[in-house]
Amino acid sequence: MKKTIVILLAGLFTLGIGTLPIASGESKASADGKITLLFMPGVADPFYTTMEKGVRAKAAELGVDVIVAEYPKSWGPEAQVPILEATAARMKFDAILIAPTSNDALIAPLKKLYNKGMEIITVDTFLGDGDYSKKSTYSFPLTYIGSDNELGGKLMAEKLAAMVGEKGKVFCEATNPDASSVADRVKGFKAGIAEFPEMELVGVEWCQDVQQVAQEQTLAALQKNKDIVGIFGTNVYSAQGSYQAVVNAGLTGAIKICSWDATQELIGALKKGQVDLVLAQKPAEIGALGVEWAVKFLKDKSVNVPKKIIPGFEFFTKENVNDPAMEQYIYK
Amino acid sequence: MNTTGKTCQQNLIGEMGKRWVFLFLLLEFAYFSISASGYFSFDTVQMILFYGTEIFLLASAELFVIITGGIDLSVGYVLGFATVISSKLMVVFASLGISPIGCILISIVITLVIGLIPGFVNGVLVAKLRIPPFIATFSMLGITQGISELLMQGIPAKNLPILAGSIGNGYLLYIVPGQALSFFHRPDVPRGVRVYEIIPNVVVFAFLFIAVFAFILKRMRFGQHLYAIGGNIDAAARAGINVRKNLVAVYMLSSFFASLAGIIYVMKYITGKADAGAGFLLDAIAAVVIGGASMFGGSGTVWRTILGCFVIAVLETGLRMMGTPTFDKYILVGVILIFTVLIECFFSNFKK
Repeated sequence: MKKTIVILLAGLFTLGIGTLPIASGESKASADGKITLLFMPGVADPFYTTMEKGVRAKAAELGVDVIVAEYPKSWGPEAQVPILEATAARMKFDAILIAPTSNDALIAPLKKLYNKGMEIITVDTFLGDGDYSKKSTYSFPLTYIGSDNELGGKLMAEKLAAMVGEKGKVFCEATNPDASSVADRVKGFKAGIAEFPEMELVGVEWCQDVQQVAQEQTLAALQKNKDIVGIFGTNVYSAQGSYQAVVNAGLTGAIKICSWDATQELIGALKKGQVDLVLAQKPAEIGALGVEWAVKFLKDKSVNVPKKIIPGFEFFTKENVNDPAMEQYIYK
Repeated sequence: MNTTGKTCQQNLIGEMGKRWVFLFLLLEFAYFSISASGYFSFDTVQMILFYGTEIFLLASAELFVIITGGIDLSVGYVLGFATVISSKLMVVFASLGISPIGCILISIVITLVIGLIPGFVNGVLVAKLRIPPFIATFSMLGITQGISELLMQGIPAKNLPILAGSIGNGYLLYIVPGQALSFFHRPDVPRGVRVYEIIPNVVVFAFLFIAVFAFILKRMRFGQHLYAIGGNIDAAARAGINVRKNLVAVYMLSSFFASLAGIIYVMKYITGKADAGAGFLLDAIAAVVIGGASMFGGSGTVWRTILGCFVIAVLETGLRMMGTPTFDKYILVGVILIFTVLIECFFSNFKK
């Protein structure tokens, strides 16, 4: 009984002392008037670390501060949202650059931060359907900056078709249908393949961003359909896992592989002939554009920010992989 | 005089032994308040509570089982299972044209009932077939994960009723100083006006259940039987306690709490997926141990387990607000766990 009372009192005490600085808690923001941005990556992978480099470089160039939140160890709102809230509570940021890990679940927490006066820019992935130009519950972000994933998926389908002579079975290894970017790549790829009557997409698997799972799923697909002629890996881990599965099955060369995301591993595999085509997004450019537009808007609120900003892609093939001009598009 | 001094000292150390977790928690909070800017605020306390809800529930689930000398490894994936079932059901009912509140309530009830099944199977395996709890619940971990993945087919449920998200991310009370005060509904104010949000709905929901079961554990016969079973299972049986029935009930209770946590996850993140609770299991077990429960059974209380949860949550939030990398947290939780056990040993030796 005594113990319960002690705990209750202490709980009240904790709450009590907690309430005191309620008003002063967030007033520390940029006392010197310097703009401070928060970069919240989606998951720990080379795509986002490359984006961070772009963010940092641009921030240094423009003379603004940037704080990078902890990288979530897995892809999902339960990993990302607590980190976002804890980091955003450190101070009143002027703007947040975030890759939302779910286009539904991140609306509420981001809206809350938006209401506190922070500007939101979504990078790589988006909220809702990504169209912030018409008014909706998720149209509050300043802009979405990321690749045109549907177009990319379609281009991959066309290039893969050309490699396999426009006929045969193909397979797609993806990560998570809750990631808007990847879902669009798959959509574009499906549409692209559908344009070739002699081609068939035999399956789409979701590896939840775990490379080993991607490898197992691809291997299973290869066993089920022994006549697969092409594979599309839709992001870092699904691409790395799926090409590894083909290498392990000893089918290098027999199956054409198109990989999305130019990690050093995939570029290395391309050089060895284990991968046939690598699409490089421009994560550093996405990050830099995010900082650039945020700062432009914060300095002059009347600036008209486009609701969608789309940097292009680069394609690595065996022919251009050693070209020094392409070097800059490899994720580092 | 010398003797009274000694008893005083003994009392002091005895008290320390009972309350060191609490002292540690206060120290932790004080440390982060000084070193992490913005930590010392009401919002931080609420944030800790809000993001800790799943852990609070899973740790309570785990505590009941651990008191009987068992362990339930399936709680994380039973949570995932519940998120998949309830989110899918909400979508199905919504498509049938049932009102959002109806969808949510019916789905919650059905999920809680279905959520008892893994626990029932665990209980039967452990109590009737004498399979070690570690193995039985480990198998259930795989089974629930598999079923959830099958139900999901790789696609998390989408387009849940918007109401679910507003309840899950809502607060009991909103205050705009000098202007408005409203319950459950966020007042419409211009952007930038500070709205004080007091006590998240899900925290109230979770703590209602935790309080009821803390009472059952402490005051009701069922609770006392659990301690007896954990203390000495043969003696308990000889004393006329229906050990099997109680064990089945305790595993069902554990599943029930995990399902409850799953429902809260769905309300918070308006999506459901098989591995939703994968990261919570170890934190839950750690919280029970830090809270002083013995892995051999027979001891542990809900309040101390909650303190154990706080030790982890305060640490996690604090490190984040200081900008320390995640992996340091794992190391620290590990170190704290080892120290907990050492300290418990030290004080129990001292008492002798």
